[in-house]
Amino acid sequence: MNSSASLEHGYRRLLAFYPRSFRRENEEEILAVLMATAEDGQQRPGLAISADLIRSGVAMRLRPTVPRSAHTVRAAVKLVYLAAVAELALLATVVLTAASARAEVLKIAPAQVSALTVHIVADEVFLPISILLMLWLAWSIGRRQDWARLVLTAYFGLTTLSLLYTLAQGAATVVPADLIAGGVFWFFQFAAVVLIFTPQSARYYQPQPTERQAA
Amino acid sequence: MQEATFLILTSLAEGSQHGYGIINDVTEISAGRVRLRAGTLYTALDRLRVDGLVEVDREEVVEGRLRRYYQLTPDGTKLLAAEAARLHANATAAMRRLSPLGVVT
Repeated sequence: MNSSASLEHGYRRLLAFYPRSFRRENEEEILAVLMATAEDGQQRPGLAISADLIRSGVAMRLRPTVPRSAHTVRAAVKLVYLAAVAELALLATVVLTAASARAEVLKIAPAQVSALTVHIVADEVFLPISILLMLWLAWSIGRRQDWARLVLTAYFGLTTLSLLYTLAQGAATVVPADLIAGGVFWFFQFAAVVLIFTPQSARYYQPQPTERQAA
Repeated sequence: MQEATFLILTSLAEGSQHGYGIINDVTEISAGRVRLRAGTLYTALDRLRVDGLVEVDREEVVEGRLRRYYQLTPDGTKLLAAEAARLHANATAAMRRLSPLGVVT
């Protein structure tokens, strides 16, 4: 392989960090620019160029595909990410305070220890799953996936029921931090659901047969 | 607005340009201070196209490779004008306050 072919091969491997749809449309063009800016006889992509391609490619995969003018959708995406952050804070609290909470309950009401353990284990199993689901939904909503709006709404319904159930059980068994985190989580979801079903958001979830291909 | 975005839009204000042309032009506008890398340029161009500020003017095939020319949309021109006016007003205010101190050359 001569040096220019090996350099091109190296650039193509780096361009794989970009989304496929973007590559289909732009790979040859970027490659032409990369080759034009390379040094004579250069065999491999430089470190700075490689880092830039990887960073840009990953950023393009992660960022929303709705325009900046889609304020309602973008706000909803942020709220769903915030919901994930609220859950992460709750998970950290549960993990860090598990031992001391158990000791406390053992002193005051030993009979409740097993109930508390079940509660803690349930949180430690359920919260990471829910955090991942929230991150995935936030990403998908920003990328115009209509199903993600529906899944978020269904999840919001479950959150509402679980919050009502917790409240109905009464204050005796509810940890205040749990209730506050649950309320914050509920509110972020509620605001996001309202935002993604406004008429301003709806147009970004219509089928878009020719928009990008036409460009 | 990020400086790279501002300079890309400024480069296109003079007429349509292809990617390599934008990189060279931005280097020139910024007196060599900003050297755009291809990854940064095309990520910014994709964003600007989605936001309706830049569009493809025409395509050519040069030495077997596709070459696209980009141009500002009316919205892009408007945004660049507003951003330039904002920066200009800020810079003017700074210059006015610095001149009695004798540090402006």
